[in-house]
Amino acid sequence: MGQIAPGTPPKIVRRLQRSRIAYLLILPAVVCMLLVHYGPMIWGFMISLRDVNVFTVRDWMNAPWVGLANYAEGFDPAGRLGARFWRSLWNVTYFGIVTISLSYIIGMAVAHVLNRPFFGRTLVRGLVLLPYVTPDSVAYSVWRFIFQARIGLVNKWLLALGLIEEPLIWLVGSRSIYAVMTAAIWKGWPFNALVLLAGLQSIPKELYEAAVVDGASGWARFRYITLPSLAPVTRTLILMSILWNFNAFNQFHVMLGRDPGLHADVPSTLIMREAFQSFNFGVGSAMSFALMAFTLVFTIIYLRMLQPREDRRGRK
Amino acid sequence: MLGRKSIVLALVLVLSLGTVTFAQTITFWLMPNAPDAIHVPWLDKHIAIFKEETGIDVKYEIIGWDAAWSRISVALLTGEGVDVFQAGTTWNPQFAATGGVAEIDINEFGGAESFMKANLDSTTYKGKYYGVPWFAETRALFYNKDMFAEAGVEPPNTYDELVEVGKKIVEVFGEGSAIAIAGTNAWDLIHNWAIILWAFGGDLLSPDNKQAVFNEQPGVEAMNWYVDLVRLGLASKASAEYNQPQADAAFISGNVAMAFMGPWNIAGIEVDNPDLNYGIVEPPAGPAGRAAFSGGSNLVILADSPNKEAAKKWIQYLLRPEVLTDYTKNLTHMLPTTYEAYDDPYYNEGVWQTFKKTLSYATAYPPLGVWGDIENAIVGEYKQILSDYVEGKLTDVQRYLDAAAGQVNRALARER
Repeated sequence: MGQIAPGTPPKIVRRLQRSRIAYLLILPAVVCMLLVHYGPMIWGFMISLRDVNVFTVRDWMNAPWVGLANYAEGFDPAGRLGARFWRSLWNVTYFGIVTISLSYIIGMAVAHVLNRPFFGRTLVRGLVLLPYVTPDSVAYSVWRFIFQARIGLVNKWLLALGLIEEPLIWLVGSRSIYAVMTAAIWKGWPFNALVLLAGLQSIPKELYEAAVVDGASGWARFRYITLPSLAPVTRTLILMSILWNFNAFNQFHVMLGRDPGLHADVPSTLIMREAFQSFNFGVGSAMSFALMAFTLVFTIIYLRMLQPREDRRGRK
Repeated sequence: MLGRKSIVLALVLVLSLGTVTFAQTITFWLMPNAPDAIHVPWLDKHIAIFKEETGIDVKYEIIGWDAAWSRISVALLTGEGVDVFQAGTTWNPQFAATGGVAEIDINEFGGAESFMKANLDSTTYKGKYYGVPWFAETRALFYNKDMFAEAGVEPPNTYDELVEVGKKIVEVFGEGSAIAIAGTNAWDLIHNWAIILWAFGGDLLSPDNKQAVFNEQPGVEAMNWYVDLVRLGLASKASAEYNQPQADAAFISGNVAMAFMGPWNIAGIEVDNPDLNYGIVEPPAGPAGRAAFSGGSNLVILADSPNKEAAKKWIQYLLRPEVLTDYTKNLTHMLPTTYEAYDDPYYNEGVWQTFKKTLSYATAYPPLGVWGDIENAIVGEYKQILSDYVEGKLTDVQRYLDAAAGQVNRALARER
């Protein structure tokens, strides 16, 4: 940015003038966003400040104002709901750490295989996407069957391999979250593979050729060429996964039901029960906003990371 | 030319307006009470008759139970989408508490005394009626006659006997073969426990509905009895993860000797395993006698519906003795809610006699606006009991029941 000459309008105005057409072009999208996203969000925020429950929901605008009481209830670790909410946040975090990292590792391995030339590669690339495009309800229903104690395939295999002596109960209690993780990883790695494959293909071949000439081992090539080159893709991928993760609902609802139990309850299932089953919309909205605050933290990190380095430096 | 065109257009407009005012249409939501293959033709036929008589057209939509809850909730809150709908008996008071459903003058539907009390109670909220009972259901004890004969046992009369009978069946057929029970995945878990709780002399709430009492001694005993089914090997440990259809399937397939099921299961048996040699007896008696849960569905009118009169006529039509009996007897295998319908000799025979008798003492849950909270709290802790049991972590059920009671009391404090 050059020096501001005296008499010219302030920087912000100049910027706006310069981008006038751009603003006009995004205007319809922004209006739609305001209506479809921000409108309901503001609405939800207002509900979270009022005692909106089964008795008041039809006339929620006149529901008693309770300030932050709903937030207090949702956050109070000594209360039943607060304790459950914190636990659900932990559950979804733990679930995220495991599924995101394993999906990434598997995706990376598959991407490497698919990056090599072999006969039928295009077909395999298409097939790999199959889990990703299977509708959640179908995929997770099947996984529920696979994990069933008496007739499920998992127990059948474990018994056949002699790893267990009697059928394990997977869908109830502390094991249940691992059943959901397995299904979620199965569903999640193809997307990772696809994105990483695209990343791999954009790495110039010359880098590897030069490394081979220098005598770099396979691991060294991966460590010093592949990984750094994939860093931008990885950042985006992981952060997107984290954002999606906090809103996880389908896998838990389909595999474990309306109330997945203490060990596998996640914020979305808890909020759904509280708001839409018991009609406690005030508390439900408060918990939704708390969840949004969590995701917002990651979104901010994400947006900062997406910003080109020069721009960030320039602002200092 | 233009003039003639506009005259034609105006005519078309007038005509179409005319048809709109003449042919009133109401929207009706109901659940899959019978397989679509027979349900849809039945509805089409009766809607045609109704239209012939009244000039009112009924646009219906069959919605699954899970989706129905959310669809109805939205309709209640927005005041549009439907005129008259089917609601589960346990849903009705909560819906009424929102103010979204129309108050009913029960005398327009044959008067309070013509309906079975428990079903009528389920339509009330604060002493007023907000629905009309449509059909009833109750759970009784289904038993496999062949398995019973082979084990040399008779159907149990008491809950103690059930355990004894179960042990003998397990001796012959192996662990988990005595009774099929639903576990943590059952949305109706509470119904299965409530009948045992009542038979043990307990109740969910105090008579004035101000306090939870299910954590008192009978509640603890009833819960222990239920957990014992698994502990003693009468029910499979895997039932902890069952939903109700899975538990039912274990009985229907002929692998398990007993199950608490409802009349709707009879149709399932006819389709899945018509050769099953089974009988149905009343729920066993506990120390306080026999108890049963009265469920079923009511017909409810949306408060904001502009077609309330037409909706009423449709309900009146569905409740006509011949229509109601046809719907329950031949189609859904549910039970009618009007005393009059039981004049049909059909209900004095075979299994229907058992259901009729069971219904005569079946009770409904207290009609409360915060019922959703109460059910969530009890079911949540109940699940935790089963879950901790299968993991070997269950110590004392009292602790869980107390936790649930605490939550229920907080919910009751909010009831208006």
